[in-house]
Amino acid sequence: MPDLLLMENICKSFFGIPVLKNVSFRLRHGEVHVLLGENGAGKSTLIKILSGAYTLDSGKIFLEGREIDMTNYNPQIASRMGIATIYQNFHLVPHLTVAENISLATFPVSRMGFINWPKVRAFAEQALQKVQLQVDPNTKVKNLTMSQQQMLEIAIALVQKAKIIIMDEPTAAISRRETETLFQIIRQIKTQGVGIIYISHKLEEIREIGDTITILRDGEQVGTMTVHEVNMDQVVNLMTGKEIRTDQRIARNLRTQEIFRCVHLSAVGKFDDVSFSARDGEILGLTGLVGAGKTELARAIFGVDHFEQGEIFVRGVRVHHNTPRAMVEAGVGYIPEDRDTSGLCLNRPIRDNITIVSHAKSRNFGLNLRQDNQAAQLFIRRLQIRTDSLERQVKYLSGGNKQKVILAKWFQAQCQFLILDEPTIGIDVGARQEIYRLIHDFVRDEGRGVLFISSDLSEVLNIADRILVMVRGRITAELFPDGLTKQELLTYCLGLRNSSPTG
Amino acid sequence: MPIERNFFKAVFTFITRQQSLSMLFILLIMWVVLAFLSPYFLTINNIFEITLQSAVIALIAAGESFVIFSGGIDLSVGSVFAFSAIIGGLGLMATQNIFVSLLASLGGGLFAGFCNGAAIVKLKIPPFVATLGMMGIARGLALILSRGIPIYGLPREYMWIGQGRVFGIVPVPTIIVLILFTVMFFILRNTRFGRFTYALGSNAEATRLSGVKIPPVMLGIYMISGAFAAVAAVIESARLGTMQPASGSGYELLAIGSVFIGGASIYGGEGNIFASLIGALIVTTIRNGLNILGVSAFYQYVVNGLIIIFAVAADQSRRAR
Repeated sequence: MPDLLLMENICKSFFGIPVLKNVSFRLRHGEVHVLLGENGAGKSTLIKILSGAYTLDSGKIFLEGREIDMTNYNPQIASRMGIATIYQNFHLVPHLTVAENISLATFPVSRMGFINWPKVRAFAEQALQKVQLQVDPNTKVKNLTMSQQQMLEIAIALVQKAKIIIMDEPTAAISRRETETLFQIIRQIKTQGVGIIYISHKLEEIREIGDTITILRDGEQVGTMTVHEVNMDQVVNLMTGKEIRTDQRIARNLRTQEIFRCVHLSAVGKFDDVSFSARDGEILGLTGLVGAGKTELARAIFGVDHFEQGEIFVRGVRVHHNTPRAMVEAGVGYIPEDRDTSGLCLNRPIRDNITIVSHAKSRNFGLNLRQDNQAAQLFIRRLQIRTDSLERQVKYLSGGNKQKVILAKWFQAQCQFLILDEPTIGIDVGARQEIYRLIHDFVRDEGRGVLFISSDLSEVLNIADRILVMVRGRITAELFPDGLTKQELLTYCLGLRNSSPTG
Repeated sequence: MPIERNFFKAVFTFITRQQSLSMLFILLIMWVVLAFLSPYFLTINNIFEITLQSAVIALIAAGESFVIFSGGIDLSVGSVFAFSAIIGGLGLMATQNIFVSLLASLGGGLFAGFCNGAAIVKLKIPPFVATLGMMGIARGLALILSRGIPIYGLPREYMWIGQGRVFGIVPVPTIIVLILFTVMFFILRNTRFGRFTYALGSNAEATRLSGVKIPPVMLGIYMISGAFAAVAAVIESARLGTMQPASGSGYELLAIGSVFIGGASIYGGEGNIFASLIGALIVTTIRNGLNILGVSAFYQYVVNGLIIIFAVAADQSRRAR
């Protein structure tokens, strides 16, 4: 019998940057094949090619020995061929009932063309049986727990006769007990010959449920092995590879003055008892795996979302109102992960974007357009924003130049403590270096500090003066990059090691 | 805060920029065609009729421009128009003082706008719904307060606002339009409030995360819209010599159409107020032209509806490119 799935020499580039280089991947019937790799190693790109979300540049995919025509491949075709993705309950409609969700793709109808409700219900009960999910088919999906929703997605995949089920971090949001149930179901559907591609960072889980492991690093396949022949040190080494430290740190004096402090910050389900402080002149790194709660923490600190407990101090003064407005007035700036949706006014001129924060802080009625233009011109020159005019709408700029506009707006407003959430995501290598340099220049001046949030371990090691590691909503380690290897940092991120942080 | 010399240059470039320029061109073509079709069109009387008629729509469109630039929509302007006319009429009857009447009208418009803004900010309802509610409320109040009866007998001084001529030739409403549009252009371009209006329309989340206090900006925008509906109501009352509780119905369609013809984006963040003025002139010319050609007034609603659809379709295709 041919393999269930064979992906051969898959290549994919984004904007000329290769993210997958000749990757091959094989999945057998009834196998749980784990995909491992750091953030950005190419796991999700590979998965998205298989599920039809991305098109590949070159390579072949065989399903049960037959080559798939990749020219018109799309998510609809993928699911019709039996490739299902369980991904953060993306495919469920929360306001419909369990039964309706199960029959969504193929509502059974009577001869008159009306929906045959008894059949819908029977169909649902049958599907729920398959994953031993005991819920009333008439419950609305939004009232189910995360774990139940996940089970429901698996049930739907099985009903639709999925041959391959892709699970992306399925245990990230569910409890240990629910994980047990999930594994039980996985073992059961394996026996029916379904192949499972399992993405997870939790190494202990992989031991428990996986059959085979494939490790990706920088878009290359660096190893495939069966689970019982691996030891975990070897896995970590393969994931991080040989380390090339290109240190971005520029020697400078860290001043001792505290610039920012948060104490016992907690928000249920997001992060728990987070305390740290940042000093004048310091680039404080915050890292952790995707889903560790870094972005949630940043948003809460800046007042975008609320937190239940804790206090925030800027230069020793407590900030009472937890709103973006109050944080801006206290001298804190925030660069969100998603530039386009929450960082920029895309159809406004560069000038308006650069000067908006200082206008927000100003109390004048009018504004001096000539001063505005001069300020914008100054920052366009200083940050080398590539544009022909300061009136150009921001949407026409490249990712790197957009990010520079956002940096410029905080610089221009004399912001003192800048929170950067994944500031180099989606930015090409050259522009990255410029962003690093700008951040360095920013903290060099007296009275400035940076919280640099990134899941890219090399980046954090190269730029941060001190690194906080976040695991499942808690800060579990405070580390210094000198002498720290990427392997060690990864073991902290995976939660295999702790060090008590000294906030 | 000095007005730089560039200001007037900027006014000029804005007027002649792409969308506005092509709209200006279309307006002129319409005038030429209508002049050929009807000997009455290019008469002095008719040209002034157009500027007078357009003054009312243009002023409502000026307020509506702020709302649409900020990414919202104000459906209540037609009803607020009648509401502030009646408030002004009651003020006039009670005191026989024109200034009290004018202040009462303006106050009525500002109050309705304030309620719209407060509903959007405090009750967190979308502008469409908030102003749809106000559309009913303001119309109802206008009818209740006037008991459904029009107010007549305005003093001559009041009527001068709508019928007077400066230097015996330029209509007063035309002058009011030119002054207010210039002031509003200045506010949009040279004040923080104007910047925030556009920024809010472009990306409300990014604006909030930049530390801008959104509520006062939102209140200001809707109060301006209400105030302009009131000014327009004063002019129409003065011109017709009466205040009617049923007046202004359908004006929101004309005003919104004017702003979209001027090239404003339905998603907000783009547009300029002089383009809305040209839009108002086009809308009025079509109405006037259909009148002169003897087309039933009923068709004008159809034409106005079509104009809005095509203006927004043009915006979408520009965006897709």
